[in-house]
Amino acid sequence: MTILQALDRYYHRLDDVVAPGWSREKFGWCIILDRQGEPVLDQDLRDLSGKNPKPKLYVVPAAVKRTVGVAPNFLWDKSAYVLGRTAGENKRTAQEHAAFVAFHMARLRGQNDEGLVALRLFLEKWTPARFDAAPFRPEMLDANIMFRLEGDTVYLHERPAARALVEAKPEDGKKENVFCLITGEPSAIARLHPTIKGVEGAQTAGAALVSFNLDAFASLGKEQGENAPTSEMAAFRYGAALNHLLTRDGPNRIRRPIGDATVVFWADAGNAKAAAAADGWFGAALAGDITDADEARKLREELEKVAKGRPLAELRPGIEDGTRFHVLGLSPNAARLSVRFWLSDDLDAFARRLAAHHSDLKLEPAPEGWGAAPSVNRLLVRSIALQGEFKNIPPLLAGEVMRAVLSGGRYPQSLLAATIIRLRAGDDPLSGWHVAVIRAVLTRDHRLRFQKEDVPVSLAREEPNKAYQLGRLFAVLEAAQRMALGKTNTTIRDRYFGAASATPAGVFPLLLRGVQNHLGKLRKDGKGGWIEREIEEILDKLSLDLPRALPLAEQGRFAVGYYHQRKERFKGRPEEAASSEAAEKGDDE
Amino acid sequence: MGIRLHVWGERACFTRPEMKVERVSYDVMTPSAARGILEAIHWKPAIRWQVDRIHVLKPVRFQSIRRNEVGTKASVANAASAMKRGTTEGLGILVDENRQQRAALVLIDVAYVIEARFSLTAKAGLEDTPAKHISMFNRRAELGQCFHRPCLGTREFPAEFALIPEGAPLPPCELPPDKRDDDLGWMLHDIDFANNRNESRFFRAMMNGGVIDVPPFDAVEVAR
Repeated sequence: MTILQALDRYYHRLDDVVAPGWSREKFGWCIILDRQGEPVLDQDLRDLSGKNPKPKLYVVPAAVKRTVGVAPNFLWDKSAYVLGRTAGENKRTAQEHAAFVAFHMARLRGQNDEGLVALRLFLEKWTPARFDAAPFRPEMLDANIMFRLEGDTVYLHERPAARALVEAKPEDGKKENVFCLITGEPSAIARLHPTIKGVEGAQTAGAALVSFNLDAFASLGKEQGENAPTSEMAAFRYGAALNHLLTRDGPNRIRRPIGDATVVFWADAGNAKAAAAADGWFGAALAGDITDADEARKLREELEKVAKGRPLAELRPGIEDGTRFHVLGLSPNAARLSVRFWLSDDLDAFARRLAAHHSDLKLEPAPEGWGAAPSVNRLLVRSIALQGEFKNIPPLLAGEVMRAVLSGGRYPQSLLAATIIRLRAGDDPLSGWHVAVIRAVLTRDHRLRFQKEDVPVSLAREEPNKAYQLGRLFAVLEAAQRMALGKTNTTIRDRYFGAASATPAGVFPLLLRGVQNHLGKLRKDGKGGWIEREIEEILDKLSLDLPRALPLAEQGRFAVGYYHQRKERFKGRPEEAASSEAAEKGDDE
Repeated sequence: MGIRLHVWGERACFTRPEMKVERVSYDVMTPSAARGILEAIHWKPAIRWQVDRIHVLKPVRFQSIRRNEVGTKASVANAASAMKRGTTEGLGILVDENRQQRAALVLIDVAYVIEARFSLTAKAGLEDTPAKHISMFNRRAELGQCFHRPCLGTREFPAEFALIPEGAPLPPCELPPDKRDDDLGWMLHDIDFANNRNESRFFRAMMNGGVIDVPPFDAVEVAR
């Protein structure tokens, strides 16, 4: 199924969606008119429950698509159009107001509904200077404004006469019926497609998913919507459905964008309840970052069962077997939206891939602050983002990682490179997040047969891989230094981690010579016998000729070995681990 | 007279018309893209290719890339006036001023088998026989000859090709078993260039066992 078809289907499942010809807009104010068109009162339409008043959404006659021209809305608009006033300076304000008045004079001519008459009288009498007197307030500037007749319970645009006007669309010439590529039915063609609002980073007025806004984008001498024949109704429906999905803090949207892509997802289930259950599960599993310990354990157990092949419908009552599920990632590009990824499959297939993702990431002991199933965003921010900030996650890479998670394919190789670069730049490998990512890339590559060797989950003393053993050796050498000298300003990790993992033959002889001094001191103090035993054991596994240079994947194994060995020291002694880590953090500051 | 051609490549972009600006590829090769490949290998005004079936051999995988492109086209009117004036002044397009960054969701690692046949057109002369054109095609395809480099949807994604001789088995299909049957929605069949109307024709693409049956261009299944 194509993206637009899936959205069209979703529209038919919605029950609280606006009808064609109407749209949901943010409102601040309503002007109440008496029957002579005198403004008598203003009504604050905003949500005043929070600290700052927030505009609320109201259903009004559909907003026109504004690009560069002046185009008024019907029966409502922002203050520049309605009243001819804005907070800032704008040369076009007078022109915009004149357009609003002229448009309404034309549409309201001959109407004798008292509400519409009042609006006409109001517009005839209005001068922008009138705004300075009551009931108007400066806060109303630049907000959207609608009207109401004094003593009426509904807004002006909700009066039956106004509704009739909205639904009887003005004739704009005859349109030819053409094939619609969403429905397959012949119908009137949409010239411009609906604007989609709510994609992070796109223009606030909304951006278009389907648009042909420059002549290089048109083909075969066609203009605008002719390039992709779509019926007006189908275009409206997919737009309404997508706008509904993109509602901020809605259940179908991942709160924080992945890289630059805003992600929405929805189930194509038989009934609304099953769909909500599926949406809920997916949202929590993919991006919940659950903090509650019980919930976290439950999700972890579920993922383990899914990995063993149990269908989700058995684990979570409410989810229907074989529910089709869609995930859409949209990235902004000024006035346009681009599709970063689009995946459509059984919910169970997605669940299995999520489970596989988390089993690839598995590391023992788990990285600090790991939780049940960290979201892709948290994973990336802890492993590859500069200064640990979300805005420093490379957007393309984040999109590709998300695709790999959801499609079960290879992780991008640049993920491995980016993680190792962060380690070399001085990120702490003991946080475990980098090592988990490295292990995930290598394990999945092994599973998909791009790599010969697997990577152990926890310390494997017998692991034949040289890079892994070198990582362990490095950890032991560091421990020797620490035990002998106590806190030092620069440890061998600070100085040699990058070089030791990339060019072992150049660094390890030096380190092994250096460690003799530390061992000598320890022997005198009668400590650290285990260190000598560990070094011997590891050197046994390594042949004498150390590799000159290690490729990227091997550098990853080095980091895994290092992590396992360092964490092994404290296995079963969490207090000591905590105090040692605290001390190390103290060193850094 | 049928032929079978194995085509493959690293990347492909069979752009959907509704998402041709920020490009999104169809899941599989379109019949018009298949026709383009065949015509790159052998075509004469005397024949017209008709794609019968497209076998999908590799799993459908996407990748997103972003490129700098140009937002304007060379204008015919400007070119005409430049010819009249005899100078090229004002003809150029400055890329720096017309930059458009566009993202594309393209397919990676694709392989298909195109099953096709051709019919003779009104332009066929006495010397044009089906047997002649089929052996011309077979010879050219076997030697790897082409009039221009065949491509997978767009020019930047070249196609490799190999003829599958009659009676030879098809290359194995690597699609997972649960992905071999799918409704791919309305897909571009080809463009009707008759009467200068340049109308797009669509058909409902259904994949059965990894194979998409393509109706003839003038069939009732092709929407118009």
